[in-house]
Amino acid sequence: MPEPTRRALGGPGVVLVVVYGLLALAATGRSVLQILSDYGRAPLAYTLSAVAAAVYILATWCLARGGKWVRVGTWACTIELVGVLVVGAASYLFPDAFPDKTVWSHFGQGYGFVPLVLPVLGLLWFRKVERDAAAAERAQADTRTSAAG
Amino acid sequence: MHWAGADTEATRQRVRVGRVIEPLTYVVVALACLLFVGAVYYAVKDRLVDDRLLAVAGLVEIGLLVLLVLGLTGLGEITDSTEKATFVAYLITLPVIPIGTSLLTIKEKSRWAMGSMAVGAFGVAVMAVRLQQIWNTYA
Repeated sequence: MPEPTRRALGGPGVVLVVVYGLLALAATGRSVLQILSDYGRAPLAYTLSAVAAAVYILATWCLARGGKWVRVGTWACTIELVGVLVVGAASYLFPDAFPDKTVWSHFGQGYGFVPLVLPVLGLLWFRKVERDAAAAERAQADTRTSAAG
Repeated sequence: MHWAGADTEATRQRVRVGRVIEPLTYVVVALACLLFVGAVYYAVKDRLVDDRLLAVAGLVEIGLLVLLVLGLTGLGEITDSTEKATFVAYLITLPVIPIGTSLLTIKEKSRWAMGSMAVGAFGVAVMAVRLQQIWNTYA
């Protein structure tokens, strides 16, 4: 009997992968160009943008691949949520440190607060995938036990 | 004399690019909105992607590719480094979206896949408007 697969690219995961992919592409391109062209202007903001971009790439990959990457994806979304909350709060408390915007500053206001909502949706989705797989594994184990008995 | 002539030619070319970018952006935004409405309709009706919807996505794609070439041609106009970075990143990201979502809808064949096409189309419309805002500020 095949082991239950953790497939993240199905149902709402298809929509999530598009939003993550879009943010990953836009944020990566933007941060790479900012760092290459004028890093001295806002080093903290540009570095954070690059970190955010890397996390978005990782989350996109985890959604697309599923399987063992589901657990990595949960971590990526957690880091993302902490990032948007910490950087969001910091951008209000220490505006001087953020002369230029990042994806996460002001809780993702520049991106319609999508960066704030997305990690929550990502976490919920990865949790569902994980739970469904665990339930399938239990069902399989039960079938084996009853077959043996 | 030679330089003055070259300057005039450069200005002419700039004006030509600028004149085309704005209406083309509006056409792309209108097509992206059409794709968005179509994809939402298909998702609600639980219909799968068909040639008609893919044709609209194809038109959006052509518009975005032309926009990419024109935008890169007129890139010198944007003097602010951050705005230029956003402009280039969006220009390059945009044409990837219709291709990505179209492939997803062909592969997945579900209501959610149509939702992803709708989200992608909405993203294209928003990012194209943002491109136009940056362009209008500098050119």
